[in-house]
Amino acid sequence: MIDFSSPRHRAKFGYLLLAPAVLMMALIIIYPILLSVDISLQDVRIARVGGDREPWTLENYDWLVRSGEFWNAVWVTAKMVLTVGGISLAIGLATALLVNQKFRGRALARLFVALPWAVPEVVATVIWAWMLDSSFGVVNWALLKVGLIGAPIQFASNATAAFFAVCFVMIWKGYPLVSIMLLAGLQSIPEEQYQAARVDGANVWQRFLFITLPSLAPVIGVTAVMTTLWVFRDFAIIYVLTQGGPIGSTTTLSILTFEQSFSFFRMGQGAAVGVVTLVICAFISRALVGRFANSVH
Amino acid sequence: MATIDFDNVQKSYGEVHAIRDFTLHVEDGDFCVFVGPSGCGKSTALKMLAGLEATSAGSISIGGRDVTELGPGKRDIAMVFQNYALYPHMSVRSNIGFGLKMRGQDKADINRRVEAAAETLELTSYLDRRPRALSGGQRQRVALGRAIVREPSAFLMDEPLSNLDAKLRVQTRSEIVNLQKRLGVTTIYVTHDQVEALTMASKIVVMRGGVIQQIGSPDTLFAEPANIFVAGFIGSPGMNFFRGPVEIENGRAQTRFGEQVVPLSVSPDRLPRGEAIFGIRPEHLKIGGETGGTPVSLGLVESLGTEKILHFPTPEGQAIHSLQKVIGSDDAARDSTTMLARVIDDRRYSDGEHVRVALPEGKVHVFDPETQKALS
Repeated sequence: MIDFSSPRHRAKFGYLLLAPAVLMMALIIIYPILLSVDISLQDVRIARVGGDREPWTLENYDWLVRSGEFWNAVWVTAKMVLTVGGISLAIGLATALLVNQKFRGRALARLFVALPWAVPEVVATVIWAWMLDSSFGVVNWALLKVGLIGAPIQFASNATAAFFAVCFVMIWKGYPLVSIMLLAGLQSIPEEQYQAARVDGANVWQRFLFITLPSLAPVIGVTAVMTTLWVFRDFAIIYVLTQGGPIGSTTTLSILTFEQSFSFFRMGQGAAVGVVTLVICAFISRALVGRFANSVH
Repeated sequence: MATIDFDNVQKSYGEVHAIRDFTLHVEDGDFCVFVGPSGCGKSTALKMLAGLEATSAGSISIGGRDVTELGPGKRDIAMVFQNYALYPHMSVRSNIGFGLKMRGQDKADINRRVEAAAETLELTSYLDRRPRALSGGQRQRVALGRAIVREPSAFLMDEPLSNLDAKLRVQTRSEIVNLQKRLGVTTIYVTHDQVEALTMASKIVVMRGGVIQQIGSPDTLFAEPANIFVAGFIGSPGMNFFRGPVEIENGRAQTRFGEQVVPLSVSPDRLPRGEAIFGIRPEHLKIGGETGGTPVSLGLVESLGTEKILHFPTPEGQAIHSLQKVIGSDDAARDSTTMLARVIDDRRYSDGEHVRVALPEGKVHVFDPETQKALS
């Protein structure tokens, strides 16, 4: 009998406890990834696990590189990441700074800032789909009343309007998490740093630039990565709002993956898009995390 | 370089008065220490001087200029914080030069002055490191560097030594005093440690409950404490207190300590009728005479080599039970029924040994039992 409490055998006990979790991870994360890589290398329309295998081929990736749809999706995704990521960060930072101040009703303000985050994605999107509707929507109504526009904006058929409508809902849904993360970061900056800076003669803008931003850099980095990945993989908002249309103006890589696999039943090509997305995401998170982690050490 | 004046400064948080009637004049070049138990308002007073906290009433002047309405950056002061408050993302060089940069000095000038400050504090080889790569003592010196490089009219220090270990604290203590003497900059230093106050200050302000108890030089505070609190707070160990009768014989006042009759140097008409509170410093007690004094049995002997702290019970009926609250819990080793004697000799003492304790004339302090003020 091995005594697992002895220092010599403690590690073995650790591995034993870890084993179920590792196996589960392998089953539910690693296996599907390998499976999609496998499918992306086969010229199949409907993949069947355990059925007849097609020989491995690079045909799907060949299609990928030469198709306009893929490059369009890459372009749309990049635009969306920059727009949503940038504006969410700006709004998130601004609201975090705001609710970090001491004022009457701060708890309530914090609640309101976090509220959109708590609403389920599909519910939020349906609400916004109503509000953005070109015939009955409150947004068009309000804009017409104020006189900012002469005719209703066709959010469903105007490519630019559709893109920004999607971005808007994503920002609305996404900035609270940024705000919460940055607020936690702000609260970890010791008050003495600000006092020292004030004694050193730094004004409020200089304190933000030289104390707040550098101290927040690691959190901003992590948050940027999370927002980026969220935009990459988000499906519900785009699908409910526009189904990727009109004419591909909101078809991101994840929408394209779904379309190819389950609308056109070209699972090989869908899997290829998915695998490429995975690789891009891995590179982005590595680069951003590494960069921001270095900036503090 | 400047004088510092607090004129009747008050600070209250709603109903709570943190500082009351704070009036103080600090001479140019003084090393002034605010000392008191935690919560006595010493840090609040310093922060009001720095401009980090608003005053509720009264005014503060630095170098004759009223700064009450000015922000910290415009008061021409530098501050050293308890946890140093170094900027973790900046190198030592940038940390020290930050204040100059904020004041728009040109780069070459900043660099020259940072190098000079680093030279003074022996930090030259660490200039390009981040604070996290430094030891506690080095971080402390960077914090000092940040203060001296600006050549301000006053240094404010908020318990700057409390994060250092005991040995480094003693060493840094003398470094700070030497630095201050060399630069001649008026310094306000906050500490809860009365040893630091006595060793460093040219002027000590003892505070309690937001009220100044006494202002004076270390020698004055030690020899002529204004009240029971100051007498018990200053000195290590603090003063012993006992209750005794006031008797007049042949026109001279005297009291009794156990069997011993103790003549008092205070004139009889200044003493209260009946009883008074008396104080004697542990180092003034005479131990081990053949005759005279009063016999006691030693409870505990703490030996530090040649120096010994002897504990013995206060004579029957002379303990003051209400005193613990007055003195505070700073001196945890002692309760109201125990007195301490500090002796430096080669004799060996053992627990339970019977010795004679005598109070020499002229060393006994007398306090009014009502007001707790010293009588002289």
